[in-house]
Amino acid sequence: MMTDLSIPTAPRKRRYWGNVWDAVKSTAIGMGITFKYLWSKSVTVQYPDEKLPTDERYRGIHYLEEDLCICCDACAKACPIDCIEMEATRHGKELEWHKFTLDYQKCMFCELCVYPCPKDCIHMGKEYALVVEDRGQLVMDLLSWKGLTEDQKVRIAEAEAKKAAKAAAQAAAQAAAKGGGAKMDAGGGGGGGGGGDSAAGASDAAETEPTH
Amino acid sequence: MLTDPVTAAAPAPPQGNLWTDLMHGVFPDGMPWWMVAVLGAAVAFAAVMLFVTVIAMFSIWLERKVAGHIQVRLGPMRVGGWHGWAQSVADGVKLLLKEDVVVTGADRLLFKLAPALVLGTALAMFVALPFAPGLQIADVDLGVFFLISISSITTIGVIMAGWGSNNKWSVYGAMREAAQVASYEIPLGLSLMPPVIYYGSLSLRTATDMQAGWLGLHWYVFDPLHFWIAIPSFVLFFVAALAETKRAPFDLAESESELVAGFHTEYSGIRFSFFFLEEYAAMFVMSAVGAALWFGGWNFPGVTQMPEGALRDFLCVVVFTVKSMLLVFVMMWVRWTLPRIRIDQVMTLGYKYLTPLSLILVFAAAVLEYFLALAPSVLP
Repeated sequence: MMTDLSIPTAPRKRRYWGNVWDAVKSTAIGMGITFKYLWSKSVTVQYPDEKLPTDERYRGIHYLEEDLCICCDACAKACPIDCIEMEATRHGKELEWHKFTLDYQKCMFCELCVYPCPKDCIHMGKEYALVVEDRGQLVMDLLSWKGLTEDQKVRIAEAEAKKAAKAAAQAAAQAAAKGGGAKMDAGGGGGGGGGGDSAAGASDAAETEPTH
Repeated sequence: MLTDPVTAAAPAPPQGNLWTDLMHGVFPDGMPWWMVAVLGAAVAFAAVMLFVTVIAMFSIWLERKVAGHIQVRLGPMRVGGWHGWAQSVADGVKLLLKEDVVVTGADRLLFKLAPALVLGTALAMFVALPFAPGLQIADVDLGVFFLISISSITTIGVIMAGWGSNNKWSVYGAMREAAQVASYEIPLGLSLMPPVIYYGSLSLRTATDMQAGWLGLHWYVFDPLHFWIAIPSFVLFFVAALAETKRAPFDLAESESELVAGFHTEYSGIRFSFFFLEEYAAMFVMSAVGAALWFGGWNFPGVTQMPEGALRDFLCVVVFTVKSMLLVFVMMWVRWTLPRIRIDQVMTLGYKYLTPLSLILVFAAAVLEYFLALAPSVLP
């Protein structure tokens, strides 16, 4: 038996005035609803002035804890598209930062740079606005300062002074040992010479080794 | 030189006023009649153009704010500081600076003439509007008839724009506009008849004067014997006016989701702004006719009783404009409530519903007036 596929027709009774009534009533209901919405509070925010809260795990523009970073290149090696570059000069234990850039034209915010960090100092931030006037500005520097800070200079000076004092003490001890008639070795002599140098050249960068 | 015997009568002696002195020096016999006419027309045109521009810019801003708030957002918020009040000014300046493109293959004459014709008819409609007792450009005896006949000339401009654009979308828009306006002229005219029968005049000035009773609240919609005709006829008029001004839900002529922009797809710059200006001017005129015939025109408690003078005229203009803008607001409110209806539904609504219903109302109004005329002393 065939199924009846025809469109069921509404009862034709009172359709004319029924239609008029339906039109007036539904328009009135609809306009009531829109009038209510007209006075309701807006759900949008005025973006640059106020922002919607970002999620806890949001992966935005990175931020770097520069004082913790040791310039070990682990994040750059982990990066699948090689968009991280860093450069610093080592002064003993202190780092003189030159650059730590991320190329946000390439970065895909995969977070793989965050996991290998031994000092846990690179993080995904919450800032998402990558608005720049020129493409070059998308290569962003994450450093909050460059070069040496005053604290670092003080610590370097302290380290140099300590070293110089140690060298001087060593030299004095060697001189005493020599004076005592003990036998002298070549290594000791070299050390003594080095100690004599460093007192004069303390202001120079003692051990300069540029890293990648 | 031709001189009118009335205006070119005895020259007035100099009054010591700089302006009168100057005019007396230039025209010792008084101004010739044609110069009076030209100057009067120029002043009226400048005033109407300024008023229309201000009203249109305010309406566009209001429309965007209303649209925003109905959609639970804010609308323009930046330009000019407070709630983006200068948005329309910025848009207007931008439109003026845009290139005026005439499409290859367009009928140049029709293409260039259409915006002027459309805006010109919209401005002409302002001539008959009764803003205040002392401020009406011309008290046309056939006011209502004049308005609806002028407003249908707009359609010719729209068809010229659609045809001259050499664009299928434009032609579709123009054809829809023609079909729609032709079928809604009838209910529009018929729904204006009940108030005309009530006032016994087609003049908007007479209509406004007759609603001055009850301290200025004796509006047609509040009249105890007529409100049952006034309210339905106003609803019919309003629906027909929406169709006449191409406003949603009857905006088939420009339906941007189907025809890009309909008849003004190919227009840019200042010519496009003419169409825009016309839309808002026509909305204001239709609302003003509604306000004058159903909602008392400039009559309002406190304003009607004031002595004649410049202050009263100013307040009358304010009252009339506010009433009209409220109806413009309702037009916007409707636009952001109802979806656009199909062309066959537009025709059904026009021919099967609005026309018979308005005929019934005209008949009822005529019968009511006949019986009220029989017993004028019994009823108020």
